[in-house]
Amino acid sequence: MRRSIVNDPEDLVPEALEGLVLSHPLLLALEAEHRVVTRRHRATDKVGLVSGGGSGHEPLHAGFVGTGMLDVAVAGAVFASPTALQVLAATKAADAGRGVVQIVKNYTGDVLNFRIAGEISGDDAIETEIVLVDDDLATDTGDADGPGRRGTAATVIVEKLCGAAAEAGASLAEVAAIGRRAASRARTMSLALSAGTHPGDAEPQFALGDDEVELGVGIHGERGRGRVPFRDADGLTELLLEPLREELELHRGDQVLAIVNGLGGTYPLELNLVARSLHHHLADAGVAIERSLVGSYVTSLDMHGISITLMPLDDEQSRLWDAPVRTPALTW
Amino acid sequence: MNDQTPSRTLPAGFGRAFVLTLREALVGSADELGDLDRRAGDGDFGTNVRTAMKHLDRNLEADEPSRYREWLTALYMAWLGVGGTSGPLFGMFFRDLAKAGEEAGTAAPTIAQFTDALAAGQATVQRYGEAKVGDKTMIDSLDPAVTALRAALEADAETTAVEALFAAEDAAVAGATATAQTIARRGRASYVGDASQGVIDPGSAAMALVISSARAGADGSGVANIGWIA
Repeated sequence: MRRSIVNDPEDLVPEALEGLVLSHPLLLALEAEHRVVTRRHRATDKVGLVSGGGSGHEPLHAGFVGTGMLDVAVAGAVFASPTALQVLAATKAADAGRGVVQIVKNYTGDVLNFRIAGEISGDDAIETEIVLVDDDLATDTGDADGPGRRGTAATVIVEKLCGAAAEAGASLAEVAAIGRRAASRARTMSLALSAGTHPGDAEPQFALGDDEVELGVGIHGERGRGRVPFRDADGLTELLLEPLREELELHRGDQVLAIVNGLGGTYPLELNLVARSLHHHLADAGVAIERSLVGSYVTSLDMHGISITLMPLDDEQSRLWDAPVRTPALTW
Repeated sequence: MNDQTPSRTLPAGFGRAFVLTLREALVGSADELGDLDRRAGDGDFGTNVRTAMKHLDRNLEADEPSRYREWLTALYMAWLGVGGTSGPLFGMFFRDLAKAGEEAGTAAPTIAQFTDALAAGQATVQRYGEAKVGDKTMIDSLDPAVTALRAALEADAETTAVEALFAAEDAAVAGATATAQTIARRGRASYVGDASQGVIDPGSAAMALVISSARAGADGSGVANIGWIA
């Protein structure tokens, strides 16, 4: 039986947003009716950046609102898209006169509601561009009519790079192009030792045996590609790394950005073990991790699991990644 | 066809009558629609309908609409605040119906403008939802309704707006009931596959209520036909 620290589960998302904004009074402001988090001081004369989606993935997205990253984040219920009306309010809030880039993880509901909000924003002469994030290698079926790959931890990279470009004065088209390029090059693989539990529920979303690992798991408790035998940290890292290396065709001399991401119930010691293993494996292959993040950035409630995201990195992307950022979850 | 003849205009209070009749019809059949969705879908449609109508009541109180366009705007904004896939799709459909009031000003749209708006709404729903006729979605009652409406208006210059809307209503109800014979390929019911056989698609049923409410708003009866949903 899993217990949760909640009041009325219905109030979980608005109360959590309120707590986040109260904790960062210099950075954030809350528009409670639409569950929209904006910067405390709205930016002027730059391309606006809005993202959002279901809750349960914190610190994504509201944790990345601030200078150098998002202007606005909008939150749906746990694992459910915000409504078109919420996204519309968020998109309008992000507009500072130079258009708005919407960063959207590739899920049917999110894509539908962001597209609709973009279309209706046109009534107010707000230009929008959608950048779809679809990095999850486990859902790469090659089916052109299918829903495509899911969006997961590469969202952080896209939000960071677009945020830096927008802050530096790039145009709507340029910011969107930078986001799309990053999304097209980044891939993620995930695994779970146990599923997350919905707040207020007693049981996790799926059960795994003591000797089982769910490989290719999604961030909404979706089942993975299959189950494989449990193994040690180095072995688990290899499970994720091998398909990524193959897909990205990494060669000796390549440089990458890596995110070692906890899925909500993984502790930092575990993540550092995976990071260590990833560095050693890639070093052996002559691939340099030029930049990296290790922590829980795109989570799935309290799922005990990890994801590894890799993106081949060029000089422009390195500069954008290194640009200053000041948000609740990412600051340098 | 000549839209300016009195028989081809819609009555002055059409927007109000249409929206309030539809509100009544959807609230009155929310249980049945929810039940259909539990049998062949994800089960949230009844809740979504109720939420949309709650939003509608709030919008009507806040906006105090008078023109057709304002009534339909309160309706489309209500649906855009609803989750699932049906909420945004119905929202964008009603947004196209609202646009039919752009040229009409303070008057109701003509039946020709209303027909064009239904067709535009169908195109928008298909652009976003990617459903074709026969996929067991709201398109299965909307498409035959638009076809029947156009055919009735074009066949005979004497056909009135109300007569044409009756033809559209019959076609919509027939289209919705026929979805019981199909297996879902898009939308909510596609996840349950064969289990959707024998069950009317609730989205197509709700869309038939829309057409029925338009007819009831035009003929002055103010009562949509909901008895066939089960």
